[in-house]
Amino acid sequence: MPTPSSRYLRTAFIVGLFVILCIGGFTYKHISELSQTSKVVKDNYSLRSELELIISNLKDAEIGHRGFLLTHDSLFLNPYEESLQKVTSNLHKLDTLIVSNGEQVEKLKELKEDIKKRFNNFDKSFSLAKDDTILTQDLLFLLHEGEIRMDRIRADITAMLDLEQRLLTHNQEINEKKIGLTPLLFYGLLIVTLVILLLAYFKMSKDLKALKENNIELEIFEKLTKQSEIVSNTSTWVWYIEDNEFEFSDNLYRLVGEEPQSFEPTLENFYKYVHEEDINHLGQQVNMMMREEELPFTTYRVVHKDGTIRHLKAYSKMMDDTEGDKKMFGVTIDVTNELENYRIIEQRNQELERTNKELSAFNYVASHDLQEPLRKIQTFMSRLEAKEKDHISESGQLYIQRMKSASARMRMLIEDLLQYSRTNTSEKEYLRTNMNMLLEHAKTELLDSIEEKQATIICDDLPTMDVISFQIQQLFINIISNSLKYSREGVPPIIEITHQEVLSKDVEEIKDSLYKFHHKITFKDNGIGFEQTYADKIFLLFNRLHGKSEYSGTGIGLAICKKIVENHKGVILAESMPNAGASFIIYLPFLK
Amino acid sequence: MNSDYINIALADDDEDDRLFFTEAFDELKLKSKVLLFKDGIELMEYLNDGDNTLPSLLFLDLNMPKKSGLECLKDIKATERLREMVIAIYSTSASEEDIENTFVKGANVYIKKPNDFEKLKKVLSEVVTTNWQYQTSGLNKDNFLLRL
Amino acid sequence: MKLLLKFDFTKVCNTILKQKLEAHQFNYQQTAFGEIELMAKVSEEQLKRFHDDINDFGIEIIEDPKKIVIQKIKDVIVDMVFNERDVNVKTSVYLAEQLEENYNYLSNLFSEVTYTSIENFIILQKIEYTKILLTNEELSLTEIAFKLDYSSVAHLSKQFKNTTGITPSAFQRIIAKRKQIN
Repeated sequence: MPTPSSRYLRTAFIVGLFVILCIGGFTYKHISELSQTSKVVKDNYSLRSELELIISNLKDAEIGHRGFLLTHDSLFLNPYEESLQKVTSNLHKLDTLIVSNGEQVEKLKELKEDIKKRFNNFDKSFSLAKDDTILTQDLLFLLHEGEIRMDRIRADITAMLDLEQRLLTHNQEINEKKIGLTPLLFYGLLIVTLVILLLAYFKMSKDLKALKENNIELEIFEKLTKQSEIVSNTSTWVWYIEDNEFEFSDNLYRLVGEEPQSFEPTLENFYKYVHEEDINHLGQQVNMMMREEELPFTTYRVVHKDGTIRHLKAYSKMMDDTEGDKKMFGVTIDVTNELENYRIIEQRNQELERTNKELSAFNYVASHDLQEPLRKIQTFMSRLEAKEKDHISESGQLYIQRMKSASARMRMLIEDLLQYSRTNTSEKEYLRTNMNMLLEHAKTELLDSIEEKQATIICDDLPTMDVISFQIQQLFINIISNSLKYSREGVPPIIEITHQEVLSKDVEEIKDSLYKFHHKITFKDNGIGFEQTYADKIFLLFNRLHGKSEYSGTGIGLAICKKIVENHKGVILAESMPNAGASFIIYLPFLK
Repeated sequence: MNSDYINIALADDDEDDRLFFTEAFDELKLKSKVLLFKDGIELMEYLNDGDNTLPSLLFLDLNMPKKSGLECLKDIKATERLREMVIAIYSTSASEEDIENTFVKGANVYIKKPNDFEKLKKVLSEVVTTNWQYQTSGLNKDNFLLRL
Repeated sequence: MKLLLKFDFTKVCNTILKQKLEAHQFNYQQTAFGEIELMAKVSEEQLKRFHDDINDFGIEIIEDPKKIVIQKIKDVIVDMVFNERDVNVKTSVYLAEQLEENYNYLSNLFSEVTYTSIENFIILQKIEYTKILLTNEELSLTEIAFKLDYSSVAHLSKQFKNTTGITPSAFQRIIAKRKQIN
């Protein structure tokens, strides 16, 4: 696409050229008109002189004629003859001079007629005079007639001269008019041309300045590009499709382990560096690129002269430039390091995943399979107790009781452990769930102990969130049952559940979160509480603040809570003071 | 006429569990006939034989060699002739999700094997009586879901 | 030779029945057509043999009288629950009225035959009805609790959980998922 500036310049040039051509045309026309006029003037003058000559010649002829008549000396006939000839030649000249003017031609005809008649008159008088030496009546008459004829000739000539004078003045007027305008027109046109030229000049100088600035920018950009190519291990290339020529950036040479511009930038030369296993694939891709005019991301290896193998990734896209030439602009990147890093991370991830899976599987299998024999031991014990009670001594029965409580505890441990491992392994399917509903379910599950302890649960309206509903329900159950368990003797538990939305940056514990908002759900009870120093410890697996005999429990419940909250990218905290109740605060992130 | 026996079947690879099961039914004094199978294959062979009387109540252990309880459940529900049987899953333990899953797949009862013989008896009798209610009171069996 | 026969169906039936009852040495009294009262106790075994015998003649024992009563109790309860009868009196009184029998007798009979109590049966029926309302009518638990005269949602919820072992919402979820599969 032509730039506005170049279009402007082109227009200025065309206009200037047109103006100059116009001036040339006008000048030519005027000069030719001028020369025409001067010829007309010259002709006019020669016509006048000829006409005057005719009169003088006629006069000469008359003088000769008179002399002869008086003297009859033939000597006087010579000038007469001469002037006669002169008049004839004069008339010839007049013929050529007045061809263009019809009126004048008519007048010349009359003149010729009159001159002819005059000469006839001369001839008659001559013949009369030859016979007689005296002036006869006839001769006198002839002389008189000759006088009249002469007058008429004079009148004719005067008329012709008048006409010619008129024509001349008329011509001069026209010429004056024409010639008078010419300088003004020339001047005007010159001014216009000058203005156009000046504008063009300013425009050009402005463009030049901009071009210069652009050039400087381009130069900086080019240098930067070269720098950045080196730093980022990238390179660029251009394929001029029309000419099938390539242009490689310096760094492309470096990417194949060569000095910049050290070989002719052709595909053949480049292929020499491509790994032999990848050359077919790359060839196919390049062929496709030539057909489809686009190269999708293609990865291939190159081998440096010293044997180093690097992974390159290329991409290119077709672009039309302003002149409509087709070019492919390509980028080739060295991705060896990225690939290596990715491979390492992948490997680590796999290892981690494997160990995690193994651990979970071990946990699950261990706890699940441990249940089977334990359950049988317990069942057999119940059989023993029921069927053989009479055969067992009192101490034996005590031992059975101890065994029963020990195995019951083991069962509890196994079940909690199983649940803990399940919070890791269960399918992490996040569904939009109303948390009020989950809390209702949790309360239903705990209905018996809530009634037994005469607990009151006061609850805010909870939000709807994307959660693993089983886990959140478990979380609520664990926290509430924890509060129920550690209630104060003789004081009915009151559990207050509050909710508010908080800005992550306002809360110390979550200020580095990737989420802007968090739901803050607080469970506050009026139970026995604990020392704030233990606030972190209570969430650790198997950690208990109380002796087994005081409060039953495995020390897994709150660890499960922590796990569940972490599965939801949240944070769980505990705040408490002895005998002042405890608060469990859960922050769960969400998107608005 | 209340003279007919309830046909009950249990598929469980664990010998002790089969023992507890039969002893519990013996002590319950229900009019029942208990059929025992050691694994899923044995069970399915019996069920697929058209000459055999089908149990009206089938207890399935989930963890069995060769063919798991879940696979049996799937096959039973896919067979027109067996579809009407009431299926009770009889398993050591499972997560809430797994339990819901077995219900969704067509199980009617989910029993977590109790660790006390008396409880076992209670649980089994509850299953049988509930089942009986469904059989005799014209209740919609699609709604028969019981977890013990 | 063709013979045209005429039957007195009542007499035929009664004669056959009489012969069979005597053959099985039952002490009986005929109370109406098709209704017999046995004066002495007979064992299940005896009754079964008798049943098999008369079956050949196209006669069937419709029901054990106990079972009739049980069935009547069930019918009354099912009608009461499923048709949402407005019962102002205690269920026990209502049942006694409807069946014109002593409630204790009904209760004992019911437990003896069905292995469950009438109370349990009522709860079971209510829960069954709840299930239907939950899945078919898609009513909320609150609406159902009100409809079935429960003191609170929690009470219904608890009873549901105790009876079925699962929560109402889990039940709803399971049935919905089952429908999705089929």
